[in-house]
Amino acid sequence: MDQPMLMPNTTKTKTILSVQDLTKSYGGAIHALRGINVDVHEGEFLVILGPSGAGKSTLLRCLNRLVEPTSGKILHNGEEITGKRVNLRALRQEFGMVFQQFNLVKRLSVLTNVLTGRLGYRSTWRSLFYNFSKEDKKIAIESLARVNMEHKAFQRADTLSGGEQQRVAIARALAQQPTIILADEPVASLDPKIARQVLNYLKQVTHELGITVICNLHQVEYTREFAERIVGMSRGKVVFEGTAEDLTDEILHRIYYKDPDEEEKNGK
Amino acid sequence: MSISIEAKTQSVFDELAARQTWRFKHIVIIALVVAFLVWCADGVNLRPREVFNAVPIIGDYFARMWPPKWGFVEQIWKPSLETLYVALWGNVLATIVGLPLGLLAASSVNHSSVLRSGAMGVLNVFRSISELIWAILFVAAVGLGPFPGALALGMNYGGILGRLYAEAIENVDKGPIEAMEATGASRLQVVLFAILPQALPQFVTYNLYWFEVGVRSATVLGMVGAGGIGFELITSIRLFEWREVGLILLFILGMVTIIDHASTFIRSRLY
Repeated sequence: MDQPMLMPNTTKTKTILSVQDLTKSYGGAIHALRGINVDVHEGEFLVILGPSGAGKSTLLRCLNRLVEPTSGKILHNGEEITGKRVNLRALRQEFGMVFQQFNLVKRLSVLTNVLTGRLGYRSTWRSLFYNFSKEDKKIAIESLARVNMEHKAFQRADTLSGGEQQRVAIARALAQQPTIILADEPVASLDPKIARQVLNYLKQVTHELGITVICNLHQVEYTREFAERIVGMSRGKVVFEGTAEDLTDEILHRIYYKDPDEEEKNGK
Repeated sequence: MSISIEAKTQSVFDELAARQTWRFKHIVIIALVVAFLVWCADGVNLRPREVFNAVPIIGDYFARMWPPKWGFVEQIWKPSLETLYVALWGNVLATIVGLPLGLLAASSVNHSSVLRSGAMGVLNVFRSISELIWAILFVAAVGLGPFPGALALGMNYGGILGRLYAEAIENVDKGPIEAMEATGASRLQVVLFAILPQALPQFVTYNLYWFEVGVRSATVLGMVGAGGIGFELITSIRLFEWREVGLILLFILGMVTIIDHASTFIRSRLY
């Protein structure tokens, strides 16, 4: 796709993240990302839609540098965050992350799990005795209250159901006071009712706080329901950009079934 | 009517503060633990000042070991190899002893609690008698040399490995076990196809670690006549040949280091 598809009005909103020609290959043979160009607008709920193996997770992890991109640039508020000179701890404070398998420390209490969202702000030696400042505790509890989980604060994380665990994981990301939340298939292991509930929390709370969300999904229904803007990915490439209304059957076919390389060869 | 986020936060914050204040209970427990440790310190005759005095004395011994008597290599390379053989065969015997007993001691394999506690009892006996005692017994039974050393390691480490194997078996993912049972597989088939493949990396890790421990241990076994470098070590110490002792200790360090690197390499290839 050379020319951009339907682009929303970018002059109105600020671009918070700009991904430019991003590639990632493993061992030179496997190409997970093949020249990604995406702009993310401040405060939006952006869904990256695509089948498993499209490179959604890799793209998300390149944004907070959990995965090192092979080439290309990422700009955060106009500043380059790729390259060696970036302070990773400072960068990652800006990005909260929510995972498919929640990734809570099951043996720790719910509140301690949320408090770990504050670790990026604290020096390592001050964490040695597991104590947090009053401010950190207030922020953590408030984050829990925002997802209505404060009543379980002192329970062990493994006593919660999947949906509750994911809400706690969202609270952990919120406690980080990030400007962006990266959600990697946050509802893939939840049933439809709980999944909608979790996505509702994610969308509502981030809206209240003005946090930008980049959410990977593979389910079309949820994408239609929750996305403010959609980026479609297939085999390491962006094959669609637009809103839920633009997500026609033809587009879905392109995202899920067509080989983007063949499309290029045939001249569209 | 919903309560505001501020109010909710405050109430949980207050509860947290209440939970974190030290209760009388905590102070009593800590006092009891400290009192117990102090009491035990008396039992071991703990004299911190003498530890400081000991440093130069120990240092002096090490100074006497330098430079090592390199010519002594000629006499100790053979016993060093023997030590490795003892450790290796000790490990093989320990696996032969430990694997069946470990399987019998694992609750997910053996559902009979009588048989299980029997296996655990045997493992406990093997484990609680140290390899040095086993070595003395076996030297009396089969004579001097490396063979009683290997047998001694086999018994003691068999008890240890069996216990560790059983734990590894009980910690495997239960999902595949259920899946095998659902296919109509027999108990033994479940063990072979669901349990062992999952526990195997853990087994190998334990074996490699106890091989390394065995090399160190085998150096001591020589002192009671069970072969290996330990016999040379005790002889040199008795003759105050400190530079020979220095060389022997270097040899042991070398062997342990090589095994450590080898086992790290093997484990990296395993999973």
